[in-house]
Amino acid sequence: MSTVTCELCPHACVIPEGAAGDCRVRVNLGGRLRATTYGRPSAIHVDPMEKKPLYHFHPGSSVFSLATAGCNLHCLNCQNWQLSQRGGEEMEEVYRADPAELVAAAQREGCRSLAYTYSDPIVWYEYVEDTAALAHAQGLTNVFVTAAYINRAPLRRLCRVLDATNADLKAFDDGFYRRVNGATLKPVLDALVTFREEGVWTELTNLVIPTLNDDLAMIRRMARWIVAELGADTPLHLSRFHPEYRMRNLPPTPTETLRTARSAAREAGLNYVYIGNVMGDEGNSTYCPRDGTLLIGRSGFVITHNALTAQGRCPTCDEPIPGVW
Amino acid sequence: MNMPMRRRQTRELRFLGCLALSGVLIALYLDQALRLTAHTGGGYRVIDTQAVTRRIESGELRDREAAWYRPSTPDETGGHPP
Repeated sequence: MSTVTCELCPHACVIPEGAAGDCRVRVNLGGRLRATTYGRPSAIHVDPMEKKPLYHFHPGSSVFSLATAGCNLHCLNCQNWQLSQRGGEEMEEVYRADPAELVAAAQREGCRSLAYTYSDPIVWYEYVEDTAALAHAQGLTNVFVTAAYINRAPLRRLCRVLDATNADLKAFDDGFYRRVNGATLKPVLDALVTFREEGVWTELTNLVIPTLNDDLAMIRRMARWIVAELGADTPLHLSRFHPEYRMRNLPPTPTETLRTARSAAREAGLNYVYIGNVMGDEGNSTYCPRDGTLLIGRSGFVITHNALTAQGRCPTCDEPIPGVW
Repeated sequence: MNMPMRRRQTRELRFLGCLALSGVLIALYLDQALRLTAHTGGGYRVIDTQAVTRRIESGELRDREAAWYRPSTPDETGGHPP
């Protein structure tokens, strides 16, 4: 018996020989932990940056997006459960793509960034780290789309090769994390602060689920925490829930709930609060927080209007708009 | 006249006892289920090791050594040698 303890995420899985961690893809073979999906993605697509969603990072650009099987969370409402809730050996489609091949493919497709996304890239950490380092060497940027359930030391090291993240803040309630996601809140908050400390451009997504995390008092608390710890200019995406996986008993989030939540988050001090998964809503677009000028108009993932100056300022009042333009 | 009445009372008492016992059993079951649901990991998953090994040998998966792990301590393995 050569049992090992994984120190990548707060689960701290104690894994006997021949078993996998909670994520299904980090496997103890012969007393050594193996990253079995390294170089073996199961999903590769070219997406608009707005799909991540990142609204203040190279808007309108294409991003080469990939994922392997596995995840360290088990969200009841997972939209990618066929990918995330499986081990590599359970996947029908497994491609062979080493880091150099991925970077070359991204360049061929005209992408200026790579996104590690769909499942949680934390569990294919080594693959992300090697690919992102190569991408940087070729002048490309790296986007990490994550639930941020990771220990601080590994995250700090990974941040050296990351440029932007969209991180889920699924609720501002530890009980919600335990019941719905199989995780806890505190390590997520610590990770978000780490992203800020390491200078990674950070946007947050909060999926608003009717009756479970749509309480306005909680949304206000969450917004106040973001203002205090990450800054008032941190974009927050309030996204509409659709019934999926093991949570088909709840209806989609009413648009009015999202609009009310957006108002509450803005009143709490956040300058950029967006509504996601609602096509054509006013909340899809970026406005100057100083004079209200429409800066970037969006409908879904499409940019319909871009008035931002080349220096990333409001054309009317010259207010600098935070982001990587 | 008294006998049937007493029998009925006994039957009702038994029925109420059964109801109370069922309630206790349901509460115990729910408590255990909620504890399991609230458990946030730290364990491991039993996988089809042969399938993983076969896929590694065929090149569909990799045996690249992972970062961020260490041998477990006896405390973590419940006193068994790690």
